[in-house]
Amino acid sequence: MDTDADAELMLRVARGDRSAFTPLFDRHHRGVARFAFRFVGDRARAEELAQDIFVKLYRNAGRYRPSARFKTFLYRVAANHCLNEVRRGEYRVKHLSEGPEEGEPLETPAPEAERPDAHLAGRELESALGIALRSLSDRERAAFTLARFEGMAYREIAEVLEASEAAVKSLIHRATLTVARSLEAFQAGAEPLRSRA
Amino acid sequence: MSCEMETELTAYLDGELTPADAASVRAHLAGCEHCRATEALLRQAVATLRILPDYEPSAAFRRRVLGRVEAAPLPLRARLADAFRPALLVPSAAGLLAASVVAVLLWGPGRTALPPELSDGEALGVALHYDVVADADYDLLGLDSPDDLEVVEHLQELEGRP
Repeated sequence: MDTDADAELMLRVARGDRSAFTPLFDRHHRGVARFAFRFVGDRARAEELAQDIFVKLYRNAGRYRPSARFKTFLYRVAANHCLNEVRRGEYRVKHLSEGPEEGEPLETPAPEAERPDAHLAGRELESALGIALRSLSDRERAAFTLARFEGMAYREIAEVLEASEAAVKSLIHRATLTVARSLEAFQAGAEPLRSRA
Repeated sequence: MSCEMETELTAYLDGELTPADAASVRAHLAGCEHCRATEALLRQAVATLRILPDYEPSAAFRRRVLGRVEAAPLPLRARLADAFRPALLVPSAAGLLAASVVAVLLWGPGRTALPPELSDGEALGVALHYDVVADADYDLLGLDSPDDLEVVEHLQELEGRP
């Protein structure tokens, strides 16, 4: 399904066609939930945020204009919602370094024995990444997540975050360097760095 | 010790530089040990992140979201479009009174032409029935946020007119 098809579905939703919402959701829900998860570092809260984002998307369907790429519109709604929720303090940024909650499944189902070459694979890597992400500013974390996990180009991230491309380039560089140093320290067996780059 | 070129390295790795800028970075890397080390560190990190297992929302997530959407009222635009559908509009007493006043003002002594904004029948119909929305219970229309109120203030956009 291409971008124009997404836009057409969204316009149908705006006209009151509920059935058009399901294919839009199915196409984008993993990305939005993943973005929220990387942003808040907690699976349950990420799903709550992602639910709210999609309901907000549905309720505000009339605001969508086809001149904006649908994915950009969607992630702008998602980023603003996550940033606002974190700023309001309703969601404490909690990353997996604090350990999974009781009964919560581990993030990495693959046994280490199946991947002997992946020293940082699985839960340990998630923990190190969680600590690094927590040390970033909200906007650095948002820009980093969009670039590294959603594969967005800097120009698209700039539109989502309503920032200049130069600002996004700087955000992503600082965030990537911080994460890289944390992973390096973790790999070396030291306490991951928490300081900013 | 940091280097001025260091800030370009992540964009270089991400393929976000122009060909000319990328060539400058390549040339710089050949002679800057510090930036070569940083570039290698960044490259390793980006590669490491790619081996992370993909995030999958829970099985209940889809059911919950679609359930909430199904239970939610239709988007405001669709509800207002329904409200303005001529077959559903029943002129209220206030509407009829407003229509009478408008008629007198527009076609009474000394008046010869409609103002441009009321020159088409659809616009006049909306104006005559504005009280349907203006006097409505906001909860009935689902207007529970400033965003929704803003939409009502721009009804002409919802109706597709300039």
